[in-house]
Amino acid sequence: MSIKVNKLEHIYSKGTPFEYKALQGIDLEIREGKVTAIIGETGSGKSTLVQHLNGLLIPTAGELEICGFKILPLLKNKDIKKLRKEVGLVFQFPEYQLFEETIERDIAFGPKNFGATEEEAKELVKKVLPLVGLDESYLERSPFELSGGQKRRIAIAGILVLDPKVLVLDEPAAGLDPKGASDMMDLFIRLNKEGKTIILVSHDMEHVMKYCDDVVVLDDGKVKHASDVKTFFEHPEWMVQIGINPPAIIRLKMMLQEKGWNIPADCLDEDTLLEVIRKQVKNHE
Amino acid sequence: MNNVALGRYLPLDSTIHKMDPRAKIAMMFMIIVAVFIPAGFYGYAVIGLTILLCLYLSKLKVGYALRSMKPMIIMMVFLLIVNVLVLKTGYPLLTIGKFSIYSDAIFQTLYIVIRLMLMIICTTILTATTKPLDLTLGIEKILKPFEKIGIPGHIIAMMISIALRFIPTLIEETQRIMNAQASRGVDLENGKLKEKIMAVLSLIVPLFISSFERADQLANAMEARGYNPSHPRTRYKVLKMTTIDYLGMVVSAVCLIVCIVIGVVL
Repeated sequence: MSIKVNKLEHIYSKGTPFEYKALQGIDLEIREGKVTAIIGETGSGKSTLVQHLNGLLIPTAGELEICGFKILPLLKNKDIKKLRKEVGLVFQFPEYQLFEETIERDIAFGPKNFGATEEEAKELVKKVLPLVGLDESYLERSPFELSGGQKRRIAIAGILVLDPKVLVLDEPAAGLDPKGASDMMDLFIRLNKEGKTIILVSHDMEHVMKYCDDVVVLDDGKVKHASDVKTFFEHPEWMVQIGINPPAIIRLKMMLQEKGWNIPADCLDEDTLLEVIRKQVKNHE
Repeated sequence: MNNVALGRYLPLDSTIHKMDPRAKIAMMFMIIVAVFIPAGFYGYAVIGLTILLCLYLSKLKVGYALRSMKPMIIMMVFLLIVNVLVLKTGYPLLTIGKFSIYSDAIFQTLYIVIRLMLMIICTTILTATTKPLDLTLGIEKILKPFEKIGIPGHIIAMMISIALRFIPTLIEETQRIMNAQASRGVDLENGKLKEKIMAVLSLIVPLFISSFERADQLANAMEARGYNPSHPRTRYKVLKMTTIDYLGMVVSAVCLIVCIVIGVVL
């Protein structure tokens, strides 16, 4: 079942001088089993939107349907804990949520909150560690003696261990080196192949282009564009409009077009672009 | 968390906002001293009126000032219960079986509650109308004469301004970690005591770790820019007292004196 967002509005600190309208009427459908990127400038409402997905925030107007749960304004629902098991939310810089003495206990914290016994939780931890590329020798170590990238893996494992159907990630690759970032993205693609719906907040257009199926562009609390990745990158002017730097290949294409080259819009990868250039050079000769 | 009103600056354009922070600190000091003088309900009425006048001039909404008292409600209820159980003087107001509630218990609670309310509203007005940096600049200037007897005014002011500066950051951070842990199934409202302790622990440990890291980074950043507390420094903003500042201090001084007189006469 897909995720349906209907006229969703969120106003922070309503009725105070700090009142701020973060989302103003979001209509959106996110396809099940796909990787969807949510992009937009700082302050466009991305983080507010994703916090609605597992009920951390409740809309001030509108509604949201996800994994068979309906989230409505003023909802005080005991089921919300069940929803949080279905929708795993990984925040920006999740390494700051680590607190336990050992990695094993930190990862097991989530399952135990959802009612798993000590033994069950330990089993789950053993299964999830290899997913994030770490082995069992890490179990007894303190999470605080690891490197930044490893800490982040542990934190993500802490959500993965709950085996959510939908995984929402807020800038999971921010601050990682290129190798660490692409490892991280490969992990999410693998999870997607296993049937998880992935929602990714990202600033990195290269990642969006390479790994995602759908793109949602937020601007000032509204949906500016929502389409599949191919359509989105065929229209580089959309990116320019909202101040996003297009991926290198698109920039190259735009530069060539400016110089009078005839490059078709649907040419989005290196090989086809090379082929087009080669043909035109040949014709020219 | 976002609704914490205590200690937040509200950027409005009012007479009180424009006043010199030194004058405002002096006024707050005098009024709080007045609150502690046992001048009975008459005294509180005088102080209350003075504070209401400030509140009116500051263009703050009364509701906003009252909301800053929200965190105190539990304490007030607790005080009431303790007083009702312990104080057995005055005349009995209400008797249920062997147990009776005495008038002094109610009065005593009212005294404390009114005192707390007055102080909180007073400090809320100060912090809501004065930018944290101006506030610390004011403190620094007030402490200046005491530097001769070894009180490091500048260092104290710097510590206060850093502490104030990081209150919103810490609130934000707490909110963030709460959200992150809630996503891992932490439920701060329901659950057994052991689970609740675990939940609080899962908040405090990350908060401490990031605070220490932040402190370290801040210290490095300050040193990298050549900060040395013992060197003389100039100011971009120079404070200047005006008529309204003197007037404000006179009003608070009058309020204080009236309270002292009432206290002595009674």
